[in-house]
Amino acid sequence: MKLSRTDPKTDVGIDMTPMIDVVFQLIIFFMLITDMTQKELEELVLPDAQNADPDKPDPTVVRPILNILADGKILVKRTVLYDPQHDDGYIELKSFLAQQAKRMPTKPLNEDGTGPPIPDNPLLIRADQSTPFKYIQQVMYLCGLTGIQIWKIQLAAAEQNPDQKPKPKE
Amino acid sequence: MKRRRRKAEEPIKGDMTPMIDVTFQLLIFFMLTIKFKTLEGKLSAYLPKDVGVNTTQAEPKEKLEIKLKVIAEGTKLMPRHNLLWTGEGAFRYGPDRVVQYSVGPRTTRDLKELAKRLQELFQANPEQPVTLDALPGIVYDDVVQVLDQAINAGYRDITFVGYDISKEQKPG
Repeated sequence: MKLSRTDPKTDVGIDMTPMIDVVFQLIIFFMLITDMTQKELEELVLPDAQNADPDKPDPTVVRPILNILADGKILVKRTVLYDPQHDDGYIELKSFLAQQAKRMPTKPLNEDGTGPPIPDNPLLIRADQSTPFKYIQQVMYLCGLTGIQIWKIQLAAAEQNPDQKPKPKE
Repeated sequence: MKRRRRKAEEPIKGDMTPMIDVTFQLLIFFMLTIKFKTLEGKLSAYLPKDVGVNTTQAEPKEKLEIKLKVIAEGTKLMPRHNLLWTGEGAFRYGPDRVVQYSVGPRTTRDLKELAKRLQELFQANPEQPVTLDALPGIVYDDVVQVLDQAINAGYRDITFVGYDISKEQKPG
């Protein structure tokens, strides 16, 4: 097979095809691995906890995620729903929680099957380690309001390596 | 410019350079934006179920109440370094932060002691529900540490109390 390698004017040097193939493979790999569920997770420094269960998000389960920053701002899917600087009385957050609660499967209030149905899915609260807890308590209060009544919560924490000792606190 | 005449075995046609450039740009973009999935953990807890509904009176079980109170706020440090906080963005508290934990009548300022106490109490009465009550000044980290210890002791029925802080702040 006669190739044009000898002709310096037209010579590409190397056959680019395998490289382009590999590069495309890499792009597809990175595109797939860039998990779109992560876009709900704000950049926060989570506190360490040794007994945290690993969290494997299931996209089919309705589980709202609230990100609460150190200054009290509450973000859901990159949108600010509450900002202590511009207090709106939690109207936006309330309507968001109510709308999410409506999408959740329900179970009767009491274990014996009586009582009104209440949402049975959890709400994940991701807060920065230095977020004042009063902002979280406020969210918990909102969860108990009529029309929302979310009663299962999950608090996000960073998983610690088992060999790492818990940091001493005095 | 005279183009090279290609044979059937050589499928590449045209100038590939721009495509390769763009492809590399894309590749670099995806490589830089990728955040390696830091596996996050979760601690499950509950809120009082009967709030707002109040049709049935929940059977009053005696709850184990853990109260958290700040004794010394501690120095504010940068989230990931041992440098003093510059006053912007997130921060964390240094090891000089002192939090007092009260379990019933007993108080302690040592998390390990609290852990021991919770383990003893769980052995004595594993069915007892736990309530966490945080006084003003407590941050998320403090609560997670206590929750972690309570779960470690074996408790599963852990309830938080929600407060309407927006009402408390406003006078009248």
